[in-house]
Amino acid sequence: MDRAVIVDNLVKNFEITEKEPGLSGAFKSLLSPKKKTVHAIRGISFSVQPGELVGFIGPNGAGKTTTLKTLSGLLYPTSGFVEVLDYDPWERRPEFLKQISLVMGQKNQLWWDLPAIETFELNKAIYEIPGREYEANLKELVELLEVEKFLNTPVRKLSLGQRMRMELTAALLYKPKVLFLDEPTIGLDLVAQQKMRDFIYDYNRRYGATVLLTSHNMDDLVDLARRVIVIDEGKILFDGALEELVTKFAKEKIIKATLSKEDGIANLETIGKVKRLAFPEVVLSVPRSATAVAAAELLQNFPVEDLTIEEIPIEDVIRKVFKGGLRK
Amino acid sequence: MQKYWSIFKISFEQEFAYRLNFILWRVRNVFQILLTYFLWSTVFSNPQTEIFGYDRTKILTYVFGIMIVRALVLSARAMDVSSDIAQGDLSNYLLKPLSYFKYWFTRDISSKALNLIFAAIEFAVLFVILKPPFFLQTNAVALLAFFVTIILAVLIYFFLLFLISSIPFWAPELGWSSHFLVTVVIIEALSGSLFPINILPGLLQSIALALPFPYLIYFPVEVYLGNITGTALIGGLMIAVAWTGVLWIALNFVWQKGLKVYQAIGR
Amino acid sequence: MTKRFKKYFKIWWMMSRNSFSVVLGQRLALSFFLVGKILRFIFFFGFLYFLLLGNSTLAGYTSNQIIFFFLTFNLIDVITQFLFREVYNFRPMIINGDFDLVLVKPLNALFRVLMGGADIIDLITIPPLIILTIYYGALLHPAFYQTMLFLVLLVNGFLIATAFHIIVLSFAIVTLEVDHTTMIYRDLTSLGRLPVDIYKEPLKAFLTYLIPVGIMMTLPAKAAMGLVAPMGILVAFLVGAIALIVAFRFWNYALTKYSSASS
Repeated sequence: MDRAVIVDNLVKNFEITEKEPGLSGAFKSLLSPKKKTVHAIRGISFSVQPGELVGFIGPNGAGKTTTLKTLSGLLYPTSGFVEVLDYDPWERRPEFLKQISLVMGQKNQLWWDLPAIETFELNKAIYEIPGREYEANLKELVELLEVEKFLNTPVRKLSLGQRMRMELTAALLYKPKVLFLDEPTIGLDLVAQQKMRDFIYDYNRRYGATVLLTSHNMDDLVDLARRVIVIDEGKILFDGALEELVTKFAKEKIIKATLSKEDGIANLETIGKVKRLAFPEVVLSVPRSATAVAAAELLQNFPVEDLTIEEIPIEDVIRKVFKGGLRK
Repeated sequence: MQKYWSIFKISFEQEFAYRLNFILWRVRNVFQILLTYFLWSTVFSNPQTEIFGYDRTKILTYVFGIMIVRALVLSARAMDVSSDIAQGDLSNYLLKPLSYFKYWFTRDISSKALNLIFAAIEFAVLFVILKPPFFLQTNAVALLAFFVTIILAVLIYFFLLFLISSIPFWAPELGWSSHFLVTVVIIEALSGSLFPINILPGLLQSIALALPFPYLIYFPVEVYLGNITGTALIGGLMIAVAWTGVLWIALNFVWQKGLKVYQAIGR
Repeated sequence: MTKRFKKYFKIWWMMSRNSFSVVLGQRLALSFFLVGKILRFIFFFGFLYFLLLGNSTLAGYTSNQIIFFFLTFNLIDVITQFLFREVYNFRPMIINGDFDLVLVKPLNALFRVLMGGADIIDLITIPPLIILTIYYGALLHPAFYQTMLFLVLLVNGFLIATAFHIIVLSFAIVTLEVDHTTMIYRDLTSLGRLPVDIYKEPLKAFLTYLIPVGIMMTLPAKAAMGLVAPMGILVAFLVGAIALIVAFRFWNYALTKYSSASS
C-alpha cells in the first residue's frame, strides 16, 4: 500500500424537503412536498500518504465533514472513487473498520450513565483486542491523556474536556492506522484545546498513524497540519503546505494600532488602506512585503500607544480566494 | 388575546411540520377504534344479543361516539409539560408575560381542533364502509347536557395531565413513566375507551364512577345517547364538577410547591 | 462461524448488562413501568374474563380459548419488547449523530441498534406469562404434535416480528419524519389480542397476509387447538421467510440513503 487514502472525483448530493412557512404552507407540505438537491461535494480529488497529518479547513457547510464521513464509510458516494487502506469504505468490512477511528467533537460513543471503563471493555470485545494488548494500550493512553482518576466516574458527571479525552481513549484502544477527527477542539477551553492538539501531534509522530482532521479553527491548523486542504462549497481550493496558503493568497497583512492623540489621522492613508477607524483604534491593511516598513513609518510619524501585526483571518483568505480565483 | 391566537396558530402548524408523523398518528387512532368496533361487533354478532343493557345498535353507536369524543377530550399536548420541567425549559416560559396554564390550554385546544377535523373525516369514511347502526340525538336537553359534559371532560383531562406532569418537579426522571402509568394505562382502561363502564359488576362500577376517569369518555357518550338522564344525569354532572374543582385546587397547590422547588434548584 | 456467534453473544451479554445497570439506577421509574405493564395486562385479561363469564362464546371460541389467544399475543409481544427495546432509542440516535459512531465500528450496525438495550423489566414479566400460557394451554388438552406446532409457529411469529422491527428501523433512516412507526406496529399487532377471525373482510385478509398479525399470533394459538391446515402452516413459513428477506434488503437500501446529521 503506497497511499493510505485515495479520493478521485468524489461527488456527494443530498436531497432535502423544503417547507413553506405559515398555515397554508403547512397544509401544502402535507400534500405536495418540495424537494431540493444539496450538492455537498462537487468533485474532489486528493491522496494521503501513510503517516501524514492533513488538515481540512473551510467555512461551515463547506463539505469537510461530509468528506470525512464518506471516507469512513458512513455515506454512500453519489459518484467517484474512494479508497482507504486499500478498502472500499462503503463496504464497511470488519477488517477495515478495525483499522480506522472516527472521533467527532461533542459526540459520544461512551455509554452516558456508566463509567467510561465499561465502554472500553465493550470496545475490547467489539474490536477483538487481545487481553494483554488491551491492558497495555489502555495504560498507555490513560497516562498520556491523564484520565486515570476518572475511569470509574459515570460519563455524564465528567466535564467536556475530560469526556473528550475518554472518547479519544475509546477511539485509540485498538491502535487504528487512520484517524478521522471532526472538529476535535470544538467547545473546549483554550487550555484543553492546546492539550488536544499536543496529543494529536504526539500520537501521529509516535505511531505513524495517518490523521485527517477538519476544523474551522485556525489555531488547530497552524499548530498541527503541515499539509492543508481548503474546501469551500464542495470544492478543493488549495492543497499544500500551510505557509504556501497564506503567502499565496493573503497578499496583505493587518496592522492594528491604538493612537494616543487624534492629530494627523487624515494622513493614515499614506501608510496603508484604512479598514476601520474608531478613535483610538485604527485598523490598516498593507501589502505583505511592505509590512515592516509600514509599521516603522507608523511608529515614527504617529502617536502610537500600541501596535500589533496580524495575518488576515483564514476565513477572509478563503472568501477572497474563491472570489478572485487562483489566478492571483 | 392576540398572543393566544398566535400560539394557537403555531401549535397547529407544528403538528403539520412532521406530516407523515401526523398522518400516522391519525392512522393509529383509527386502528384503536377498529379493534374496539370489531370486538363489540363480534360479541353482538347475534342481533338478538343483549348484554348489560346494550344491544348491537347501542354498542356500535357507543364505539363511533368514542371516536369524536376522544378527539375532543383526549387530544392534548399538555403531556409535554413534564419534559419542560425535567429539562429546565420551563424557565423560558416563566420569564415570559404569559400564563403557563393558558399557554398549554391554548395548545391543547389547537390540538383538539386539528384532531377533530381529522376525526370527523375518519368518522365519515368508516361510517360509509362499516355502515353501523347509528343513533342521532335530537333531544335538546340531552344535547345541552352533552355539551356541558364535554367541557368538564376537557378540563378534567387538562388538570390531570398537568398534575402528572408536575411530578418531575421533585423527580425529573419520572416524567414519562408517570404518564405511562396513569395517562396511558389507567385512563385507557377506566375512561370507557374500551368498554362502557356500566358492564362492570356492581361494586366495581360504583368505584369506577367515583373516579374522574369515566367522565372523560364514557359519561359524555352515554349522555349523548340519552342513556343517562334525570337524577343519574344530575348526579353524574355533580361528580364531574366536583372532580373538576378538586383537581383544579390540587393543581394550583402542587404547582406552587413545585415552582418553589424548581426555582430553588435553579435548573 | 461459531467464533462470530460467540463474539456477538458476548457483546449482547455485555450490552444487556450495561442497559440493566442503567435502568437499575432509576428504581422508581422502573417500578412505575412494571406496575403499568402489569395493570395493563390485568385490565384486558379481566375484561375478557368478565365479558365471557358463564360460558359465552366469541366468534365460536370458548372463554379459555380466547384467553389463550390473548396470552399468545402477549408472549410474542413481551419477548420482542425484551430483546428489541433499543429500537425506541433509534430516532434520537440518528438525530444527534451517535448513529455515525455505531456505523463506524466492526460490529453489525443492525445488531447494535436492534438488540443493544434489552429491557430488564421484562425479565420479571416473562416467567409469570409463560406459566399462565402453559396453564391455559394445558386446559385445551393439545396433542403432542399440536404443542410442537404451536412452538414452531410461535418462533415463526417472533421472526416476523423481528422483520417488522428491522423495517421500522430502516424507515427511521430514510425518513426522519416518522416518529410513530414503532407505535403503528404496536397498534397493529395489538389487534392480535383477539383472534383475527373477529375482523370483517377485507381487514381480516389484510391482517392475515399483508401485515401478518394473523400469522404471527392467531395461527400459533390455533395450531395448539388443532385448527390449522397444513396449507396454512406452509403459508405461515413462506410469509416469515419473505418478511425477513424484505426486511434485510430494505435495511441495506436504507443505509445507502443515510445522510447523517449535519456537523
